[in-house]
Amino acid sequence: MPLISNLDVYGNIALIRQCHEHLPTNEARRLVEGYLRRYALERIASKRDPALTDEERFRVMLLRAIMVKDPVLVINQPFKIMHYGKDLGFFDDTLKVIDDSFKECYIFDLTWNKDRYRMSDAP
Amino acid sequence: MVAVIEHIGRSTLNISSTLRDTLSFSFRIIRKMFNRETYNPAMRAVLINQIYYTSVQILPLFLLASILIGSLLIGIVFQIIKDMGLAELTGRILMGFVVTELSPMITVLLITLRSSSAMNTEIAVMKVNNEINTLLRFNINLSNYLFLPRIINGIISVVLLSSLFSIVVLASGMLFSKLIFGMSLDAYTILILNSATFSDIVILFLKCSAFGFFITLIPIQCGLNATNELTSIPIAVLHGMVKVFITIITIEVLSLIIRFI
Repeated sequence: MPLISNLDVYGNIALIRQCHEHLPTNEARRLVEGYLRRYALERIASKRDPALTDEERFRVMLLRAIMVKDPVLVINQPFKIMHYGKDLGFFDDTLKVIDDSFKECYIFDLTWNKDRYRMSDAP
Repeated sequence: MVAVIEHIGRSTLNISSTLRDTLSFSFRIIRKMFNRETYNPAMRAVLINQIYYTSVQILPLFLLASILIGSLLIGIVFQIIKDMGLAELTGRILMGFVVTELSPMITVLLITLRSSSAMNTEIAVMKVNNEINTLLRFNINLSNYLFLPRIINGIISVVLLSSLFSIVVLASGMLFSKLIFGMSLDAYTILILNSATFSDIVILFLKCSAFGFFITLIPIQCGLNATNELTSIPIAVLHGMVKVFITIITIEVLSLIIRFI
């Protein structure tokens, strides 16, 4: 699900809470800044999608996803989202930073990518 | 012969189906407009941004156009009035033609050219980029967040900019009445006030609101008709703009009929 192109990072992340819970603008800004600070990404709050790196975009998408109530993350082919080579460590680290904000996380990928998940066919 | 009848039938069905869709969409939006729940912080932020893009950013160009068109037109109209010896009708012509007919028409044309086409493209691009689906998947009400701020902005912008155009034209009228008729400021003010009728102002307000409503609603509706292909964007914009111009003419004709009944 792409980021909304006519909104900046702050708008993309805050939108769900503002629409669902009528969260006031100041509180929404504080909430978003708090989450961005966890990744040391406060500087990208006013950037729009085309100005983001793949890494930043992935993290913003994750932060947006955890804004719903009782979030369950479903990530489809994460290596496809990142256009340059990243190992599983990046995704592990990224998810760990916000693991207090979601209940479960499911990652789906194609079988030929299993090596990247350090998996084998052995039982 | 059969082919001609079939063509007429198909066109009639298409037109009536488009009209029905537009009217049902309009009623849905009007119902939302009067619901307090609609006005969440995200919607208000979009509304403020939209008013800025539509009414504030255009101000220098709009003022320049108002002064140029308004002054030239008033100068010509006053000269013709003087030549024909109809000086006693000056106020009526100014209020009845320039303020209630010309101001909304020029305003709505400028806003349509600048903002309606942009909204149509914006919604079509969002549809093609799958952003509309993203909003739906996050359970964000499209009418509340995406459509209503743009439509309310359309109404506010056309009413305000049309009033501004009228003020500029009336101010030009003051200058030209002095130059051509040698009329004093007091005499000009009394002339204008005596010529303004309440019904004219109500019709003007309703007409501007209708213009603002439809020049934003129709582009949004046509933008949503875009498919997932990039080539559908220009088609959606083209259809939207044609429908907007037909609607502008229809509203203008209806308002004229109402005024002269």
